[in-house]
Amino acid sequence: MGALGRCTHQLRHGLVKAFAMTQVNTLNPVRGNRRNRSSVRRGQLKFVAFCIIPAVAFFLVFRFYPVGQAFWMSLHDWRLIGSNRTFVGTQNYQEILTDPLFRKILQNTLYFAAATSIGLTISALAVAILLNPIRRGSTIFQLVYFLPVMTSTIAISTIWLWLYQPQFGLINQLLRAINMPPGTWLTSPSTAMPSIILMSVWGGLGFYVIIFLAGLRNIPAMYYEAAAIDGASRYQAIRYITIPLLRPVITFVLVTSVIGSFNVFQQVYLMTGGGPLNSTRVLALHIYNTAFRNLEIGKAASMAFVMFAVVLALTLLQMWLRKADNDT
Amino acid sequence: MSELVNVVKPAVRYEFLAVAANWLRRHHVINFVLLALGAVIMVGPFLWMLGTSFKTPQETASFPPTIWPVNPTLENYVEVVDRLDLVRMYFNTAGVALIKTVLMVYTGSLLGYVFAKFHFRGKNLIFYGFLSTMIIPFEVYMIPLYLMIVDAKLGNTYTALIIPSIFSAYAIFVFRQFMFAIPNELIDAARVDGAGEFHIFHRIILPLSKPILATMTSFYFMWEWNDFLWPLIVITDPNKYLLPVGLASLVGENRTDFGVTTAAASIAILPVLVIFLFMQRHVIQSVAMTGMK
Repeated sequence: MGALGRCTHQLRHGLVKAFAMTQVNTLNPVRGNRRNRSSVRRGQLKFVAFCIIPAVAFFLVFRFYPVGQAFWMSLHDWRLIGSNRTFVGTQNYQEILTDPLFRKILQNTLYFAAATSIGLTISALAVAILLNPIRRGSTIFQLVYFLPVMTSTIAISTIWLWLYQPQFGLINQLLRAINMPPGTWLTSPSTAMPSIILMSVWGGLGFYVIIFLAGLRNIPAMYYEAAAIDGASRYQAIRYITIPLLRPVITFVLVTSVIGSFNVFQQVYLMTGGGPLNSTRVLALHIYNTAFRNLEIGKAASMAFVMFAVVLALTLLQMWLRKADNDT
Repeated sequence: MSELVNVVKPAVRYEFLAVAANWLRRHHVINFVLLALGAVIMVGPFLWMLGTSFKTPQETASFPPTIWPVNPTLENYVEVVDRLDLVRMYFNTAGVALIKTVLMVYTGSLLGYVFAKFHFRGKNLIFYGFLSTMIIPFEVYMIPLYLMIVDAKLGNTYTALIIPSIFSAYAIFVFRQFMFAIPNELIDAARVDGAGEFHIFHRIILPLSKPILATMTSFYFMWEWNDFLWPLIVITDPNKYLLPVGLASLVGENRTDFGVTTAAASIAILPVLVIFLFMQRHVIQSVAMTGMK
């Protein structure tokens, strides 16, 4: 926003002059007098229509219609190949909601989303609080922490697959070097999901550090100075000034990262494929497998709508929380 | 007198410690150290990956582990380039990502301008209608979208990758936010001078929006380069795989050959790294904006 303001300031004078020059050659000066208010308005409306109509068509065709069709699919026993399509009503929904595997999948997904979100929020906040007072080199730190975020999740999964390798992976090698027992990481049902959560927090941290940093920079220094005068320690300052004033950002980060973590796919697809023993089987992976491996797209669609329902509920929660924040 | 010296000497020592501690606190040394430790954790795995990619299989399995190989070799990279048609994959991924990025940024800026600076009936309804599509998880509409693609005989084509991404609701939202700041007088003056609306957009609005255009372009290019699920579904011919999908299939086939997988991963992340180094200011700016809605 600041950069744009600066830009307009700089360019305004020179721009109007330069613009006037371009008009000399492209327009008949007589025409300029003939354009009255209503023709300008009509020109505007034509422009608006030209822009808006394709966009509306696009969203109708590629978003709203498919959602409707997906709902229609979820009421059928529909295969990807072949033309048999039988209407079964809510049978798909009944089947998946009573299926213990699907329950486990929902559990896994919620566990992942909640743990990753909380882990991200706490660690990103801690890093941002540490980073805030530093002026020189702050950008370099932000860059370094952002590095995993901009790397393809598949590439990151490849790296961590190697890190987590029980015999030759770096983590276990380091543990052995300091005489600690090596971990089972991706090979054991009890540690597989936490391993995925850990690497997901690592991979998303930098993004939220930047957001928290921006929020921290918005807190007026005046508050901290007043607290220092009153003799508050650094921890007291953080507890009574920083965190309360950051509450909107914290809730934003929490809910956004939960919603974003809900369709986790790439890490699990590459690293565990859902195992061991379904401990990492998450919703997006199961939908993909059901639709494109088992070819049961009716059932997959019903699972997708269950996912949609949860995400919608979380989004509404976020909107409600923001309204509550704005009203206080 | 000697008692006084015994009292003053320790006092001076404590005074020195207090001055040192104050210097440390003022220059935030503890922060720096902790952050540096965290930075090592962030960058370490990448260095480890890079080092492993140059190791022979024997050295990969050595204990104690070495960060940098004692006998570096290029055999892993040779095998990767052999296995995947890497150059073509690079071009394909870059081309698709670029086209998608240009489309989404251009349409986003155009529509953002329209929503910010024009008034027409149904404007808010349409705008919030667009926004509401952001809530829909991709998994919900990916299956019907795939059926559409197959019906249109566009299976396994890059067209099928690009068409569902011509418009982006998020881009429209962000650009609208920024277009509010453009002074109306500028636009009105141009209209009075007889400029057409497209002329105004291309000759005035776009040049004024260079910072946000750069930011969004780098952000979207990075995002599209790493896109995985839709290319996985659509492209079934291994020769046409995009980079993330190609990497995933390579890792799937060579789970235990870590020299090869790390070499492939190193190659895959290189371009985004380079672009990021050039555009980092803009990318960070775009992320910071996300939290300031």
